[in-house]
Amino acid sequence: MEVGREEKLARVHELTLLKRVWSFVRPYRLPFWIAVVLMPLNTLFALSQPYLVKLTIDLFLDPRHRPAPAWLHPLLRAAGTHGLLAMGALYVMMLLGEFATFYGQFYLTMMVAQYSMSDLRTALFNHVERLPMAFFDRTPVGRLVSRMTTDIDAISEMVNAGSLTIFNDAITLVAIVVIMLTFNARLALWALCAIPPLLLMVNFFRVRARVVYRDIRERLAALNAYLAEALAGMGVIQLFTRERESCREFDQLNLRARESLMLANIYEAGLFSSVEALSSITIAIILWVGGGEVIRSLIGLGTLVAFMEYAQKFFNPLREMSQKYTVLQSSLVAMERIEALLEEKPLSRPAAPARITDRRGSIVFEHVDFAYRPGEPVLKDVSLTVEPGQKVAIVGATGSGKTTIIKLLTRFYDVKAGRILVDGVDVREWDLTELRRAIGLVQQDVFLFAGDILENIRLGRVDLDDSAVRTALARAQALRFVEQMPAGLREEVHERGANFSAGQRQLMSFARALAYDPRILVMDEATSSVDSETEHLVQLALEQLLTGRTALIIAHRLSTIQSADRILVMSNGSLRESGTHQELLARRGLYYRLFELQYGAPDTAE
Amino acid sequence: MRRLLSYIGRFWHRYAFGIFCTLATAALGMTIPYLVRDAINAIQAHDYLRLAFMVKLICGAAVLGGVARWFSRFVIFNCGRDIEYNLRNDLFAHLVKLGPEFYERLKTGDLMSRLVNDLTAVRMMIGMGVLSFTTTPLMWVLSLSVMLSLSPRLTLASIAPYLVLFFVMYHLSRSIMERSLRVQEGIGAIGAKIQESLSGIHIVKAYTLEQHQAAQFRALNDSYNEQGLALARIRGVLLPLIRGAAAASTMIVLIYGGALVMAHRISIGDLVAFMSYLVALAWPTTSLGWTISLYQRGKAAMKRLAEIFETTSTTMIEEDGPLRLEVAGEVRWEDVSFSYFANRNGSSNGAAPAYALRGINVTVRPGEKLAIVGRTGAGKSTMVKLLTRMIEPTTGRVTIDGRDIRELPLGGLRRTVGVVPQEPLLFSDTLARNIAFGRTDASRDEIIEAAHVAGLDSDIAMMPRGLETVVGERGMSLSGGQKQRVTIARLLAYNPSIVVLDDALSSVDTETERAVLESLGQSVRGRTTIVVSHRASTVRDADEIIVLDQGTIAERGTHEELMARRGIYAGLFHRQLLEEELTQY
Ligand SMILES: Nc1ncnc2c1ncn2[C@@H]1O[C@H](COP(=O)(O)OP(=O)(O)OP(=O)(O)O)[C@@H](O)[C@H]1O
Ligand SMILES: Nc1ncnc2c1ncn2[C@@H]1O[C@H](COP(=O)(O)OP(=O)(O)OP(=O)(O)O)[C@@H](O)[C@H]1O
Ligand SMILES: [Mg+2]
Ligand SMILES: [Mg+2]
Repeated sequence: MEVGREEKLARVHELTLLKRVWSFVRPYRLPFWIAVVLMPLNTLFALSQPYLVKLTIDLFLDPRHRPAPAWLHPLLRAAGTHGLLAMGALYVMMLLGEFATFYGQFYLTMMVAQYSMSDLRTALFNHVERLPMAFFDRTPVGRLVSRMTTDIDAISEMVNAGSLTIFNDAITLVAIVVIMLTFNARLALWALCAIPPLLLMVNFFRVRARVVYRDIRERLAALNAYLAEALAGMGVIQLFTRERESCREFDQLNLRARESLMLANIYEAGLFSSVEALSSITIAIILWVGGGEVIRSLIGLGTLVAFMEYAQKFFNPLREMSQKYTVLQSSLVAMERIEALLEEKPLSRPAAPARITDRRGSIVFEHVDFAYRPGEPVLKDVSLTVEPGQKVAIVGATGSGKTTIIKLLTRFYDVKAGRILVDGVDVREWDLTELRRAIGLVQQDVFLFAGDILENIRLGRVDLDDSAVRTALARAQALRFVEQMPAGLREEVHERGANFSAGQRQLMSFARALAYDPRILVMDEATSSVDSETEHLVQLALEQLLTGRTALIIAHRLSTIQSADRILVMSNGSLRESGTHQELLARRGLYYRLFELQYGAPDTAE
Repeated sequence: MRRLLSYIGRFWHRYAFGIFCTLATAALGMTIPYLVRDAINAIQAHDYLRLAFMVKLICGAAVLGGVARWFSRFVIFNCGRDIEYNLRNDLFAHLVKLGPEFYERLKTGDLMSRLVNDLTAVRMMIGMGVLSFTTTPLMWVLSLSVMLSLSPRLTLASIAPYLVLFFVMYHLSRSIMERSLRVQEGIGAIGAKIQESLSGIHIVKAYTLEQHQAAQFRALNDSYNEQGLALARIRGVLLPLIRGAAAASTMIVLIYGGALVMAHRISIGDLVAFMSYLVALAWPTTSLGWTISLYQRGKAAMKRLAEIFETTSTTMIEEDGPLRLEVAGEVRWEDVSFSYFANRNGSSNGAAPAYALRGINVTVRPGEKLAIVGRTGAGKSTMVKLLTRMIEPTTGRVTIDGRDIRELPLGGLRRTVGVVPQEPLLFSDTLARNIAFGRTDASRDEIIEAAHVAGLDSDIAMMPRGLETVVGERGMSLSGGQKQRVTIARLLAYNPSIVVLDDALSSVDTETERAVLESLGQSVRGRTTIVVSHRASTVRDADEIIVLDQGTIAERGTHEELMARRGIYAGLFHRQLLEEELTQY
């Protein structure tokens, strides 16, 4: 739980980001454009209402001046209070029109935002799932959760609040400018004086805010990653009475996040209130310039007053846009982070996956070199061959690279040099899914999904019926305890299998691989947390299952591997010895020493 | 909600300042039309000087108003941020006290979403809410008093739609709240799914579950969409409703007021004034609609946060416990029975609760070594977890030096009893900081020594950055055996008086195991040690070995005694030992 590690992102052009957002909105462009059209309609309905009120007063209530044409007068007189009612009815109609357009536009934008962002989220999830393991080595899950929830929320806000009204605002703005220019070009230019300082301000804001919003996203992600890790490791924190330190570290991250968030508020409020102030100052300018002209009788007072009205209206859309601008900025930053994620490359896929003709399950490593991090070789020139149907064991000190061999075999990582052939075909030329389907893997790192036992064994293969699952569990010696559970196969499994003992979890994950019924079975310390009696029973059950299948077995307890056809001994990333149990003992090398240590009488050691 | 008010109360002076600024903004905003009127009068009077003066005043009011607005906005919104910050810290501080049964009930991803999304909803509620809830009533009171003075009858008539509105709103808000809750739960479920799928990415890949997971994810998103749109359907009517009420009251003023004007009961001027006041009311009332949905969402979110706050744990760490208890190290389980289901009201399976442990009576004398063996699921880890009060005995008690551990300060207890849990879990931090996890003040030498005893020297030597290597989430970038040994080093640096190793070397090869056992034996000499293991090599030299079978003690004694009995113990280890004999050809 490192405090303060930050990611650096490459800057991406805003247009690229917007295009990316649009590519997700595009499928819903019909409702999108309908909503865009509804917006000005809504404004129209809303604006017609005050006009109706004015008309009503002029026509019916204030008989002294009647602007209506003369021919209307008798009609109006005849109408009397009915006319009043008619106006009322018209008013109600306008009102209903306003509501209908508002509702339609509101619902449609929500729909577009909801659907498009949900598509984005799903696309992102699909993408991330297919990224190579190296990506997950360096990216905490908590950060990924942030990107797929809060970052997308930020974009969603832009889609549902910003993007649509911006059209409306822009149209209004242009319309008002045109009206002002035709009305009085000189005064209009004076009024437009407000634009350059506004642009300067927006630019200032753009530069600062982008940085701040980046900080916000980054710091919130760091905070959340810390949180996720702390929650997952709460047991350890409590066992080691780290509560107070953890709270302190959390507070630190929390503080840092708050700092940027508050800064953002200060900028946002600054932009908003400057626009407000600027609007009043523009009025003052118009009064000063226009007032002078009125005094010099160049224009009439009426023109000036009307012009000020327009200047006011001119600022309405600007005010709206300045608010949306902050939303836009923050969502662009969020999009930037998502874009960076989308640009992570999945493992290369073969253009045309090789057709596997000989599916008997042979494995060949040819001079394989590998390093997780550049400059730290983990495997050095490893060559090995497993014939179809053979059982080969790998032993060696911890950290010598046994698990790494398996990760390369299933292409969790790609080799740095050399190649790996499965059934005679380079793993990079296999269709990845097919390769992994061919290999049943019991991993050292046991993981169960929250759900029930049945789901955890089946893993989505509905063709696997209860009896097949039972068989697999029985072979892994897990059926015994599963059947003792009140709900049997349907017994609930908590997150990571927390409600089972470590050995039980391991046996269930073993059963999972057996149910997979693979040609090649790979077992990495598959029974390390299991008692030796159960382990022995598992082995007996395996023996018949493994006939005709290729198996790669990693184990520290040598009792589990003695029956292997061949034993490979690893040390420090290279293969040192290879042969049968007896051959290796006779050689009195590394294997002999391991064996002696484990079983030899204590005094004969050293 | 009361909890939230206390947070708001903490910042009342800043809120007061913010609201003062808001009022100042409004006041300054109101003066500008007056100034403009004066300026126009000046123009009419051809009074250049006065015009210049007015223009300057307007600019001054604009700048002042801008500043006031700036303050009012960020001060109030930052109060929201501050409350969010405090709430988040307090939540975390509370979470840190909750026991494993809480974490088993709620998934990490779900909890995450509560601390992220729900907290955001709460913050939005208090940011906007306070502003809107303080200014709206003020506007109402001012407008109403003027309106009443103009014409009480017309006032009552025009207010009627608003009364209806409040009634409707009251009913709507219930379902907004319910739907908001569902939306929050929906995004929570999505977060939980991401968290889980990506934590198990190695399984997802190995079993080519990408599509399966994606389909589940899609389904969650689909139902989230539905929930979101269900909420939108109600929220969509909110604004029209409020505007409708405003319009209806305008209508009433127009028709009823119009009739009054025609009957010469009131003047046209009164009518126009009335209308403008109603318009003035419309804006804050409209924003009230927005605030109401924010409020409902915030309330739903607060409810989910309150669920965390209201979970109390029996094992709460006290603020200032003693660092470590001075103990001789006698550990005793007295008639201990334990069931994971005993105090879980939710999962009653009808039948009597299945006991993971029954009638355990064991005493470990100070400085001795107890080994616990038994088949998978026999209850070994359960027995050990009782020692640190991660779980509490259902009946019976656990004592250290004769004192019930429930009477000992929890922090002190946990610093006295150090455990290497069966599942090695590290944090994405440097090796050094992982080793010093329990004792942040451990010196460099202590860390190096702990790493040495745990047999990590050669592994660390291979890493270019040595102890400063970052190990990845959960210790992902270490091998299984390396991870286990780092957890042992972590325990050694913690330096507890009672050492508990729960199958702590299961992923370690025999050569390393031997070395570690040897150095470990020396470094814990004199301390009470409790080991759980499946390997003969680890348990054979214990002072007492107990064999658990289905939660009860089936056999006990020393290695030799147990081998001679030819019972469960001999059954577990005879193969290992048989092979041992075989090698001595
Ligand atoms: N994801 C990773 N990133 C960086 N280094 C790694 C990663 N996984 C393993 N290593 C390093 O590679 C080396 C070999 O690890 P590997 O997991 O293959 O060992 P192993 O032989 O399986 O050991 P064990 O018996 O303890 O499981 C170790 O030094 C380890 O620290
Ligand atoms: N959190 C839990 N909730 C419910 N049942 C549990 C929980 N933890 C363990 N159990 C059950 O209690 C029994 C004892 O589990 P325990 O972890 O003590 O076994 P163990 O002896 O340590 O086994 P192993 O050798 O596999 O580690 C098992 O049947 C297990 O399924
Ligand atoms: Mg390994
Ligand atoms: Mg256990």
